[in-house]
Amino acid sequence: MVILETKHLSFSYPDGTLALDNISVVIEKGKKIAFVGRNGSGKSTLFLSMNGTHRPKKGEILFHGKPMKYDSKSLREIRKNIGIVFQNSDDQIFAPTIYQDVAFGPTNLGYSKDKVEDIVNKTLEYVGLTHLKDKPPHHLSGGQKKRVAIAGIVAMDPEVIILDEPLANLDPVGADEVMDLLNELNYFGKTIIISTHDVNLAYGWADYVFLMNEHKVISEGTPEAIFMHDDNLKAAYLRRPVTLEIYEEIKRRGLVKPQCCPRDIPDLVHSLRSQQLLWAKVPSEVKEGDYINLGILYGDYAPESGYEAANCKVLHVHEDGLAIVEMDRKPYRAGSIGIYDTEYYSKDELLDIIDRDEIECIGAMGKRSKILAEGDEIYLHITAGVVDRSILNSLAGQRCLILTNGGMVGHALERIKDYMQKSGINIPVTVVNPNQES
Amino acid sequence: MAHILDDYAVLSPLRYKNNWLKIAIVTFGLLAGVSSNSPLVPFLIAICMSFATLYFAKVPASFYFRILAAPAGFVIVSVVIIAFFFGEGAKLFSFDVFGLTLGVSKAGLDMALLVFARTLGGMSCLFFLSLTTPMIELFSVLKATKLPDSFLEIAMMMYRYIFVFLDVAVGVKYAQSVRLGYKDFKTSFRSMVMLGTNLFIRSWEQGEKIYVSMNARCYDGKLILLDDKRPVEMPELMLTLAYFALVVLTFYFTRTVSVL
Repeated sequence: MVILETKHLSFSYPDGTLALDNISVVIEKGKKIAFVGRNGSGKSTLFLSMNGTHRPKKGEILFHGKPMKYDSKSLREIRKNIGIVFQNSDDQIFAPTIYQDVAFGPTNLGYSKDKVEDIVNKTLEYVGLTHLKDKPPHHLSGGQKKRVAIAGIVAMDPEVIILDEPLANLDPVGADEVMDLLNELNYFGKTIIISTHDVNLAYGWADYVFLMNEHKVISEGTPEAIFMHDDNLKAAYLRRPVTLEIYEEIKRRGLVKPQCCPRDIPDLVHSLRSQQLLWAKVPSEVKEGDYINLGILYGDYAPESGYEAANCKVLHVHEDGLAIVEMDRKPYRAGSIGIYDTEYYSKDELLDIIDRDEIECIGAMGKRSKILAEGDEIYLHITAGVVDRSILNSLAGQRCLILTNGGMVGHALERIKDYMQKSGINIPVTVVNPNQES
Repeated sequence: MAHILDDYAVLSPLRYKNNWLKIAIVTFGLLAGVSSNSPLVPFLIAICMSFATLYFAKVPASFYFRILAAPAGFVIVSVVIIAFFFGEGAKLFSFDVFGLTLGVSKAGLDMALLVFARTLGGMSCLFFLSLTTPMIELFSVLKATKLPDSFLEIAMMMYRYIFVFLDVAVGVKYAQSVRLGYKDFKTSFRSMVMLGTNLFIRSWEQGEKIYVSMNARCYDGKLILLDDKRPVEMPELMLTLAYFALVVLTFYFTRTVSVL
C-alpha cells in the first residue's frame, strides 16, 4: 500500500537556488526506505517538503493518496502522522528536561495531562531512558540525545518516521542502539525513511533505496539492484558497499557461488564455495554428481563443533576406482539458537536455561534486555548485530541464546527463518521460555 | 566542560525536595540576616547554611569554599575600609601615616563585622539555593507565581540554549587559540569580536531551526511544565523549624548586645 508519494516535485529556496528538481517517488507503507546521496544532494530539503515545512513550487505530495494541503489544520494532521527527526539533536531538543521535551508533541496534540504523562513514561521506557527523565539535555551523550529526539517523535505515534542522517556523529555502540530502535519501530508497522551517505548502512538495512544527486532522484530499486551496478553509484558519487566489494573480489578468484548478492555477513559466508577437492577411492557404481559419505572426521572446518560429517559430491570419476570429490562438510552437531523473552524474565530461570542447554554465547537485543542483563551481571558476548552474529556462531557449532522482548522475539525468529530458507541450512531455533498464558 | 553551579544543582541529592521549603529557608535566612543588629545572627545563619550545603547537599568542600572565596575576598577589602573610615569616638587603636591619623573606632569595628557577617550569611543562603535547586525546578516555582506563560517559555528555551552556545563558544575559542588568536592584546580583541559575531549569527540560525523543528511537532503555543507533587517530609520540617527557632532565639537575645 502506498502511504506517501511525490509527483514532479520541484522546490527552490527564496534566493533562487534550486533544491529539488522534478522528484517523483512512491513510498510503500511499512517499508524501510533509504535516500542515499552525497552531502547537498537535496535529501534534507525533500524531507522538509514531505512534512509540509517547504511548500513545493511545482508538483504535489500525496499522503494516503490525498494531495497535501497547507492550511494549518491539514498541516497539523500531516505533522502528527509524518514525524521528522533532525540531523542535529540540539536543533530539536529545546526543553530544559528530557521529560518535558518528549511531552512537547503529545501536549500540542491536546491530550489530557494524565494521557501525556502515560505516553511519555511509556515512550521513555521503550527507548531505555527512564532513568534520565529529569536530566537537562546537556548532560546526555550524543547517542542518548538522538534517542530522546526519536522518543519525542515516537510519542506522537506517527505513521511515518523520517530521520535525517540518524547515525551522524554517533559512536558505533550508539549507532547500533539507534538502528535496533528503528528496526523495532519498523517491525511494529511504522514506515521508516532515512537519509544517509553511508552505503553500507543503506545496503544492509533498507528494503528500498533511492539514489540522489544534484537535487534529483537518479535511480531507485532494491538494494541489490542499486548497489550491484557501478554506473548508478558513480553517477551519485558513491562507492560500493564493503560486503559487495569483498564478494566481487572473491568471486573473481572463483571462490564463491555466482548469482547471489550477499546483504550481510551470514549471506557472504553462505556464498562461499567449498574448495576442498580430493582424490578418493569410490565404489564402482558411483556416478558423477552423486553424493557419498566419507565418514565422520575430526577436523578443522568447524573447530568449535567437536566433530563433523563429510559429505562429498563426486565431480569426476577416474579409472581404477578413483574419483575427484568435493568435500561438502557440515558440522555434525550444528549449533542452535534459543530466544529468551525478557518480558517474563527471572534470573534463576535464565541461569537454569544457560546451564541446561550448555549455552556458549549470549546476545542481547534491545535496550531493555541489555539493561536487565547488565543489572544481573550476565555476561553478554554479543551486543550489536545480534541476530547475524548468532547465526554465524551457530553455523560454527555454538549454542547461542538471544535475550530480547516483546515484538523483537517474532522479529528475530523471522530473520533466522529467512536465513534458513535462503541458505537451505537448518538451524534449530526455539523460544526457550514461551508465554505460558497463550 | 567544567562543572558549573547548575550542574551541581541538577545532581544534588536535595534536588527533589520541596522547592517551596527550600525557598522559605533561604528567604527567612536573608531577612533575618539583614534585619539583625548583631553580627551573631548572620554568622549563625552562615554556619547553618554552609553545613546544610556541605553535609546534606554533598557539595565538595573545595568547590564550595572556592566559590565563596570570590565574594568573601571582595567583602574583606570593603570591611577594612569600613572599619577605618566609619564611626566616631574613641579609637581602639590608631597609627600615623604621613601625618594622617588612621584609627579604628568601636562603632566602625561593629559596623565592619556586621557587614561582613551579613554578606557571608546572605551568600551562603543564596549558594544553598543555587546548589540544590536547578533552574529546571525554579521554572515550576515561577509558573506558580502566575508569570505570563510566554515569558516562562522564552526563559526555558534560553536556559536550554545557554548550554548549547556555551559549548559552541568554548569550541570556537579553542579553535582560535590553537591558531594563536590570543597571542597579544590586539589579536585577543579581534578574536573576541569574531567570537561574538559568530555566536550572534549562530543563535539567529538556531532560532530558525528551532522554529522549524517545533512546527514539525505541531507547536501551538504550549510547553509542558513539571509540577511534581513533593510533600514536605516530617524530618525536614522538624529540622527547618528547629533552625528557625534557633535563629529567632539568637535574634531575640542579641537584639541589644553587641560583640565588643
